Amino acid sequence: APATKMAALSGSGAPWRRGWLPALQFVRRGSKAVTRHWKAMHFQRQKLMAVTEYLAPRPAIPPRCLAPRKETLEEDNGYVQLLRRQVEEVFRDNRMIAVCQYNSMPGEDVVLMRHYLRKHNIEVKFVLNEIVRPVLSQSKYKNLLPLFVARNILLVSREAKAKEMLRVLKGVPQINLLGACIDDTILSRQGVENFAKLPLLEAAQGQTVGALALLPSQTSSLLQRGSAHLTALLDQHIHQLQAGETGSPAEPAPAQSSGTH
Amino acid sequence: KKMASKIRVVLRPVKSIVVRFCPFESNVESTRKFLGCINHKKIQATNRNCEVTADVRHDGSEPLVDVMFADGERLIMKGANLTTIEMLTALGSRCNAKELKEEQKSKKKSP
Repeated sequence: APATKMAALSGSGAPWRRGWLPALQFVRRGSKAVTRHWKAMHFQRQKLMAVTEYLAPRPAIPPRCLAPRKETLEEDNGYVQLLRRQVEEVFRDNRMIAVCQYNSMPGEDVVLMRHYLRKHNIEVKFVLNEIVRPVLSQSKYKNLLPLFVARNILLVSREAKAKEMLRVLKGVPQINLLGACIDDTILSRQGVENFAKLPLLEAAQGQTVGALALLPSQTSSLLQRGSAHLTALLDQHIHQLQAGETGSPAEPAPAQSSGTH
Repeated sequence: KKMASKIRVVLRPVKSIVVRFCPFESNVESTRKFLGCINHKKIQATNRNCEVTADVRHDGSEPLVDVMFADGERLIMKGANLTTIEMLTALGSRCNAKELKEEQKSKKKSP
């Protein structure tokens, strides 16, 4: 039927005027092969489509029953390696590294805080946990690992100015000091506060020297006490005799007393 | 699955929040994230008078969230075995309940 229709329609333009009209009209309602509405398929075509539908292949054992296969580790891209190198550098170069929790702060506050810390030569570094964790687990700072959860920042410095850092952080309520590593010693928050309360190194040294020098000075004064006492007594005696000279001459007396000793 | 930062809590009936944890322990993750979410701009904007304090200790105590409400009620959440979302939804539901109560009270007083 479609073949005859094609043959009838293969004329130049309007099929119903020119071209030969077949004796039998196969098309009932006048709709063509390509229509704007959904046209029902011929029954034979419907049967063919139903038989040749796609069936997805099912595995014999459902994948849930098998053990999960380990995914291959992705290689680190260059950026991750660069960040890791930077973190390692930071841990090597600086004497004081403080770990703080960062809750979201308005931008100006961040800039102000950075400015105040810069004045004391303290740098602020934002770090990502997934980079820092592998670096730490391989270095000797394993005990800092549990600190790196949720958002953190690092305050790093070459000098250990704990007092100024604490003062700046007190003015910023959204940053909480968790712990620090000063001179390869891991300190908690309490430890950092105690460290800040310690006097300066020179003052501590001066105090130690003074305490150490106290005992020998006491010993030397004890040893000299006998002869000092004697000279004081003799001086007193001379003064008495000189005062008594105006009354009567008594010079040989002090010469005798000094001779007996 | 909800993201913890999408949960909105109205802090108006809250007077103060104290979050206590020991960062060297291993069960503090959810409490720290809770602290981070609470300090978000939008949640802080609902109540500027609410003071959020973080108490960092090193005595091995468990993580704790202590919320003081304006009408004297106190909510203590021990975060060792709770997730961030659970804590936020618990706090949010209590705040909403208090807000409704206050609205009803003000409606009763006005006419």
